[in-house]
Amino acid sequence: MRRGRAIGLLIAAVLFLALALQPQLFAPLLALLNDPGQQIIYDRQPLAMLVLWHVAVVAAAETAAVITAVALGILVTRNRGGDLMTLARTISNLGQTFPPIAVLAVTVPIVGFGFEPTFIALYAYGLLPVFENTVAGLRGLPPATLEAARGMGMSKPAILRQVELPLAAPVILAGIRISTIINIGTATIGSTVGAKGLGEVIIAGLQAGNQAFIAQGAILVALLAIIVDGAFRLFER
Amino acid sequence: MIEVEGLTKRFGATTAVDDVSFRVEDGEVLALVGTSGCGKSTTLRMLNRLIDPTEGTVRIDGRDIMQVPLEELRLGIGYVIQGVGLFPHWTVARNIATVPRLMRWDRARIDARVRELLELFQLDPAEFGDKYPAQLSGGQQQRVGVARAMAAEPSVLLMDEPFGALDPVTRAHLQDEFEAIQRRLGTTVILVTHDMDEAFKLADRIAVMDTGRILQIGRSELLLREPQEGFVRQFVGLDDRALRILSLHGVAEIATPHKVEGWEVLDGAVVDQASGRRILPLAPSDTLREAASRIIWEGADSLPLVEAGMLVGAVRAEDVWRVGRRA
Ligand SMILES: Nc1ncnc2c1ncn2[C@@H]1O[C@H](COP(=O)(O)OP(=O)(O)OP(=O)(O)O)[C@@H](O)[C@H]1O
Ligand SMILES: [Mg+2]
Repeated sequence: MRRGRAIGLLIAAVLFLALALQPQLFAPLLALLNDPGQQIIYDRQPLAMLVLWHVAVVAAAETAAVITAVALGILVTRNRGGDLMTLARTISNLGQTFPPIAVLAVTVPIVGFGFEPTFIALYAYGLLPVFENTVAGLRGLPPATLEAARGMGMSKPAILRQVELPLAAPVILAGIRISTIINIGTATIGSTVGAKGLGEVIIAGLQAGNQAFIAQGAILVALLAIIVDGAFRLFER
Repeated sequence: MIEVEGLTKRFGATTAVDDVSFRVEDGEVLALVGTSGCGKSTTLRMLNRLIDPTEGTVRIDGRDIMQVPLEELRLGIGYVIQGVGLFPHWTVARNIATVPRLMRWDRARIDARVRELLELFQLDPAEFGDKYPAQLSGGQQQRVGVARAMAAEPSVLLMDEPFGALDPVTRAHLQDEFEAIQRRLGTTVILVTHDMDEAFKLADRIAVMDTGRILQIGRSELLLREPQEGFVRQFVGLDDRALRILSLHGVAEIATPHKVEGWEVLDGAVVDQASGRRILPLAPSDTLREAASRIIWEGADSLPLVEAGMLVGAVRAEDVWRVGRRA
């Protein structure tokens, strides 16, 4: 099972690197999608460069979202008070219900084009899964274990660090995984506001009616999501 | 010494513990018995402040527990939780080391202590030390739970149904081990149990609880001889009270040390010279309940008492009966 997964991950990684670094290798295959004479490999930017930008914006937004959401999740589970919980839930829900494209529309006039509005949209979109899973993970701990920790004389910070977080980690990690792979896909819309990334290839393809562009952009995004998902799953156990 | 006065806990409309007072001397074992939901665990958890009382005070060694810093209080009180509650992400050894680590013992001392406890509770350190709780049977987990509570040799130990999930043989063995350790260290213990036999075996005194109140508290034998009308009478069980009273006494108390006639020690066994029959002799650690059972089985008037291979006295049936008889 685990071995099968590792092999699948390896194949996806090899394909991904080949397509990003040596797209010419795939030219004969991609050519089947296009009319003769159309350009086959996107060349306004090297694909590898766009991959890096794509990864960078997702990683940055996701890191910020994870820090915020985990901190919020810890905060709201500290006491039984429900007010903070409702507030935090509303905020993170809002981030998720507000479509990222709308966030872009709102933020561009304020922060300008490029990296920043994309970062903000992905950050907002990534909060909810992490927050919900952090809360679920921390709430779902066996009460007897927590009572034992308290009864043994561990301090609250020690219980959080040594017992609660390690035990909730698999659930929290699953939230981060879901949030990240959603954002790998969502990040493509960043190209509509001039953020560098793989969305650029897809949009160029759409504008020029170039199926090969669309395919290479979409396949790179899909493979990236598959690889990240697989890597997280390997790590989660 | 633990002094509990007027302890009360209300959860909304229900009164889980209702004006409970008792006192446990140093080195004493008090059993808290009663039916499910009568407030035993709640009482116990107010002693290490897992729950704060609605009313009443608890003093340990003269100090009001509300005045002691929380962590300091709990580090000094061993706690065996109902439902075991081992840390699932830590090995058995790490679980047992919890309190010593919090107290910053050095590594060598912790390792030695963990090994000692595992051996004491009949878990091979090489085999079990590195296992995770999920890899243990229910009974093994319980033993680790007790070992963890005793790791730093606390002077006060609270145990909530510590030996519940064990078969009778293992349970009896652990009770013996526990009793020996408790006597040696002079630990003050409050033991919650449903099992009257366990209470009689381990406790110096027993408190019978019902619907949040202590109905009767006293030395085990008193509870058997003079149980309060009603719930206590029913809970203590009067059908075999004579046998239970006998189980509270050791054979050494009534053995007659005179030169015994008619028996002969032959290769470790005792032979009755008249009939030529082999008789399993009593040992000084046997209770009068065991003596009574053997007397009935052998159809004898008395049984030999053998210590270290030597015939040291006799236990007479009539003396056994007298101990178990009503006052
Ligand atoms: N945190 C709580 N909130 C509300 N009610 C509680 C709480 N803890 C216990 N109770 C109630 O208090 C009463 C006593 O509970 P407790 O756990 O002390 O019983 P117990 O004697 O230990 O029972 P058992 O032998 O089944 O363990 C029960 O009626 C229980 O429902
Ligand atoms: Mg209980």
